[in-house]
Amino acid sequence: MREIKLFLGPQHPGMHGNTSVHMYVEGDIIKKSYLLPGMLHRGFEKGMEQRTWINNIALIPRICVVEPDINEMVFAMGVETLAGIEVPERAHYIRMIILELARISIHLMAYGGIGGPTGHYTLMYHAQADRNRILEIFEKITGHRIYHQYIVPGGVRKDLPVGIEDEINEFLDDLASRYLEIRDLGIENPTIRKRLVDHILLPSEVVWELGVTGVGMRSATNKPYDLRKVLPYARYDQIDFEVPMADYSDAECRVDLKLQEVVQCIGIIKQCLAKMPEGPVRAKMDGNALKFRVPKGQVYAAVESSRGEFGYYIVSDGGTKPYRVAVRGASFPQGLLGVEKYLPGTRLDDAALWFDTMGVCSPEIDR
Amino acid sequence: MSVILMSMLIGLGVALFGFTLQTTIGGINRKVVGRMQKRYGPKWYQEFLDIFKALSKRAISHGWIYDFGVIMAVGGITATAMFMPITDSLVAFAGYDNFFIFVYLLAVGMLGMAMSASGSGNPLASIGVMRALTQMLAYEVPFMVVVITIIKVSGTSSLTGIMEFQQANGWFALSLPIGFGVAFLSLLGMLGKKPFETYIAPSEIASGPMVEYGGKQLGLLFVMHEIATFIEVSLFVHLFLGGASNIIEFLAKYFIVYTVANLISNLNGRFKIDQVVVFFYKWPLALAVLQAIWVLWR
Repeated sequence: MREIKLFLGPQHPGMHGNTSVHMYVEGDIIKKSYLLPGMLHRGFEKGMEQRTWINNIALIPRICVVEPDINEMVFAMGVETLAGIEVPERAHYIRMIILELARISIHLMAYGGIGGPTGHYTLMYHAQADRNRILEIFEKITGHRIYHQYIVPGGVRKDLPVGIEDEINEFLDDLASRYLEIRDLGIENPTIRKRLVDHILLPSEVVWELGVTGVGMRSATNKPYDLRKVLPYARYDQIDFEVPMADYSDAECRVDLKLQEVVQCIGIIKQCLAKMPEGPVRAKMDGNALKFRVPKGQVYAAVESSRGEFGYYIVSDGGTKPYRVAVRGASFPQGLLGVEKYLPGTRLDDAALWFDTMGVCSPEIDR
Repeated sequence: MSVILMSMLIGLGVALFGFTLQTTIGGINRKVVGRMQKRYGPKWYQEFLDIFKALSKRAISHGWIYDFGVIMAVGGITATAMFMPITDSLVAFAGYDNFFIFVYLLAVGMLGMAMSASGSGNPLASIGVMRALTQMLAYEVPFMVVVITIIKVSGTSSLTGIMEFQQANGWFALSLPIGFGVAFLSLLGMLGKKPFETYIAPSEIASGPMVEYGGKQLGLLFVMHEIATFIEVSLFVHLFLGGASNIIEFLAKYFIVYTVANLISNLNGRFKIDQVVVFFYKWPLALAVLQAIWVLWR
């Protein structure tokens, strides 16, 4: 049979981001594939070296478009560790609320995302409608829908607006009440199950080989490796939640785990709203912000993103700008290495679904 | 001579009516689906605007097979539509509305499109054509078993004859419910509705056969698609819902069948091509054969 070269992206309805996959197919089977990154490369890491610590707050959210808050959080954590800044208690809880809302938002986006590869656009629109309500909440809190620039070194930029707690609670209650309906529309739908169950497997050996973390790892190894539990940041150690996991990672399992995580996120946010103390939301930092200096040193700060461990390795030479920042993109292993080694063997029909259920975020690779 | 000319004019009128009807109902359905998906949806006449816009644009050719195939597709489908009865008394070529004429003539249009798409040279188009032909083989077998059962029961393969039989003895949708269900699934396959949308599959093969089209060729294929949909839905109405004795009845039945198909389509995902084949050759075919045996034995 003749081998044909096909492209998935950068301009393709099935592609999740500005990147391209070159695939060599025989019939419907992918024989060889590789990722062609570089289409979104804006030199984030190098760019950070040329901006002051405070100016970087505007640059870093762009490293992952759909979940920008994790960038703000790891950057803030890194700077706070190096500079010895004590974050106010209320700010910790606000940060957790923002991060968990973002997690729900991206899980909904990924869940709706399976509507694209499977043609179930109703699922996609319904998930996006719910995500849009989260973006509206973000807009009220931060003034921005996508790039919030809200979590900053020392706390958060400003306090929560009056009455937002009620709005968040109302949204969460509504989402929780429709949880089964949301599942019925997608993951319980027989036609969708046909595409997900026993498809696009992620064996535990591959997890260890590539260094996959997050839902991918937890779905394959049955291990509750979640940085919020094993290396708590903010005040996650004071919050009660479970880490969903499984021991057979097919596409259905990974999607299911994301939906289960949404339920956990709802619980976390509700606890945060209940436990959040009054008080300041940002540590007092005197002097000109543009001349802010971070003491010499190096630190690795990491958080549990919706796709796994997401971290910054920051080196400071004591100046007004970072000396070096390296980003550990959570989807880097499966996005770059996995495409080359484990996309081959699957069918052409599954390629877009592979990207969605593996949680690939292409800007994390192009950074 | 004048009778043939008159029949041809009426036939062209039927094709034009079919195009207008389906484009309008298709537009209304886009609005219905929009609301279902928490969107406003476009205006009901958006499909007309899309077609006229495409037809008014410059055409880029990928060779004469590419161009000729489009003309063959539109010509073949228009010719098929000319034979389609609207009601039991409104038929352009009386006595020539045999079911098998539609089976053969529909293939001309479809093959024209397959030829043109393959001529575009895009591998995704070729994959789409291959999938379309495979899917056709899948849904046509159970569908033909059901229709042959209907022909056996009604004693005719003429669509107006089948309509008259149902008007006297009740709809086949009620007397042959299994066949009705099987044929509706086949209709979804014919219309390329989900879960049988495999040969379009935008996220897999970037709309398959349509991938290289633009401008006038795309506009003509839109026209062809609307008329083909009119033929397929009308066939279903005539075979299972008793046809129609007047145009209002036809419009109502047509609208209901197309809208239900569209709603089902938008509540489901897409099968893979191997799943489509296995699906049709399993339960629909088995049920269609069982029903045929039961009807013969009865």
